[in-house]
Amino acid sequence: MPGYIQVSASGLFWENTLFNVAVAAYILAMLSYLVHLFGKKEFGPFASFVLRLAFLLHTAFIITRTINVERVPFVGHFEFGNLFIWATVLVYIWTEWRLKDKYYAVGAFLTPLAVLYIGYLTVVPKIFTSVTISRLHSPLPPVLQSNWLKLHVSASVFGYAGFTLAFAAAVMWLLKVKMGERSSLARALPQTKVLEEYMYRASAFGFLFQSIMIISGAIWADTSWGRYWGWDPKEMWSLITWFVFAVYLHARFTRGWTGRRTVTLVMVGWVAMVFTWIGVAWLLTGIHSFG
Amino acid sequence: MSKGTSGLSKSQAQAESPVKQILNFLSSMQLGLILLLLLAITSVFATLRDNEAAITTIYRSWWFIGMMAFTALNLLLCTARRIGPMSRLALHPQRVVSSDAIGKMSVKRALKMNSEDIALDAARSAFHATGLTVTEEDGAEGRVVFAQRGKFGYFGSLITHISLLLILLGAMYGSLTGFEDRNGGIVGDHIDVEKGELHIDILDVRMEQEEDPTIRPRVFTEMIVKKDGREIAHGTVSINQPLRFAGNTIYHMTFRYVSDVRVKNLTTGEEEMVQLLDVDQLQLDADGTTVHIMQFFPNFSMHADGMPYSKNYKPERPVLAGILVEGGRAVRNVFLQLDTPVVIETANGEMELELTTFQNAAVFSITRNMGRPILVVGAVLLILGLYLSFFLFPRRFWAVYDKKIATLLIGGRSYRNRLGLEQDMERIESEISSREGE
Repeated sequence: MPGYIQVSASGLFWENTLFNVAVAAYILAMLSYLVHLFGKKEFGPFASFVLRLAFLLHTAFIITRTINVERVPFVGHFEFGNLFIWATVLVYIWTEWRLKDKYYAVGAFLTPLAVLYIGYLTVVPKIFTSVTISRLHSPLPPVLQSNWLKLHVSASVFGYAGFTLAFAAAVMWLLKVKMGERSSLARALPQTKVLEEYMYRASAFGFLFQSIMIISGAIWADTSWGRYWGWDPKEMWSLITWFVFAVYLHARFTRGWTGRRTVTLVMVGWVAMVFTWIGVAWLLTGIHSFG
Repeated sequence: MSKGTSGLSKSQAQAESPVKQILNFLSSMQLGLILLLLLAITSVFATLRDNEAAITTIYRSWWFIGMMAFTALNLLLCTARRIGPMSRLALHPQRVVSSDAIGKMSVKRALKMNSEDIALDAARSAFHATGLTVTEEDGAEGRVVFAQRGKFGYFGSLITHISLLLILLGAMYGSLTGFEDRNGGIVGDHIDVEKGELHIDILDVRMEQEEDPTIRPRVFTEMIVKKDGREIAHGTVSINQPLRFAGNTIYHMTFRYVSDVRVKNLTTGEEEMVQLLDVDQLQLDADGTTVHIMQFFPNFSMHADGMPYSKNYKPERPVLAGILVEGGRAVRNVFLQLDTPVVIETANGEMELELTTFQNAAVFSITRNMGRPILVVGAVLLILGLYLSFFLFPRRFWAVYDKKIATLLIGGRSYRNRLGLEQDMERIESEISSREGE
């Protein structure tokens, strides 16, 4: 097809197969984490194993896609979404590996978000015809042929990953407080102070990378378009997300804010992040039309 | 952003001069948080509007700029207020504390031990094993072992604030001292940039097709830039590859096709060459017979519905398309193919149009931004500041031996990481226990 890279049949087969198997493994990991959450504690390590396996399969898919598109797969909703999901899972696996207490319950809230994102990339375009997420292999236009793309997008996916993990912890905090200690589900969740720490660390991680993303984007825009900042909706929503998390982090460590107020800020920040990714693309127009 | 007056009692606040109260308010974190939220909410509404309209009516409005100025002022005052106390806190820690002070610390341990020497030696070793820098001083109650780590983390928020101020300063200085202009041309053109008193000579405009010709190609423009008749820069500009010199930058913005068209009056035999760009109009007689140029197609083709398009950017079938307008009414399409004359009836007689050749014109943005070095320093400092703030958490521990109860007291304080401090304390405790067991 004109305008697209010709991919060999075997390349296409491996790419599609690895993606489908990785998705199936993510769903299995999510179910295992949920089983763990709802009482079968022994499922925790199994869920963790399946998630790591899914992550490896997903990594293999991204490598195959890289070979097929003959460049880093950083462009368009499908490629960006996959990287973002991959980074989210990587950050979670890393925290699970690093922490002495494994807190598998966090996985029961994180993996559904990853599956939700996958659903957006695969199921939503089939339901809403106006949402077109192309999986075709397009070459990189000259404007995107820059090393800044790699830094900008890498920082972006890790920023989003941190905010997603923070959001998962915020949802858990809210559930735990709402349901009270009488509920077995609430008792299965980590203590609120642990969740607040989770939220804080993940937000700080996301905030650092979101800052790198904004800065690298600005420098790239200066090189490419001749100005740092164009007040483009995507730029503005990235900044709005940054503002919200800046307020949260300030309030947390300077004013000692904890609890419902900070949970609300993290949730609002996550909504802003999702809008930056999805809402801006479909509801607003701007120069970030390539992804 | 520092704490405001909320920690002061009412009488203390009343005792302060009005100027001090205003300064406290302007440097308060509450104001900072409110301004950040206001900027966020305003930006949300602005993005829902047409972007150009939002830039004019919101982002460049006095009140939006005012909000940003207030945020900058808040940052500046807050930073100024914090430099002294934060430096003292980081560089001159309180190394000697009493057992009472340890008792009031949020993270503390009391370990029964019989000998002061053994107890303090165990604390010292445990601190070392936890990666802390250890010093020892004599206090009123005896020796105090002090240990700390990550003291530069105290400067994180300060550096972040300074970096944001630098970014704002760089942007302001850049916009006040700089300019932005747009211009372009073809090979051999000489362009005057009045705002910068620059003169650009275009030496070459070269198009390079991508491997896939449906992708917009790269255009490379070789140019010489002169000022006061003297050459100050020479280089090639293309996308993602600007030419920078003395605070000025020339960026490639886009390219256009310039068509050379021969216009011949078949009745009189007069002919002239004209250069046409998209949306130009070529007037053929005094009655208003005009060709409105629509678009240049490098590889012309037509859809089944008659809509013209270019298969790709390869110049295999170049066509200049236009609409013939007579008396203000569109009459028919005109497609000028290379070296293929087209005859049009006009009030002046038959006119023959022929596309003889075409070339590329490059369009540039020429800017001067003297604030760029400040912005770059600000950006680097922002990343450093955030790293120090969130990933280098400062922690301090004190160990004293209370002879009255034969107990080693260990207390810890951290700057914004209570859980990390607790984990360190557990490690210290386990190190001491393991030493005791040896």
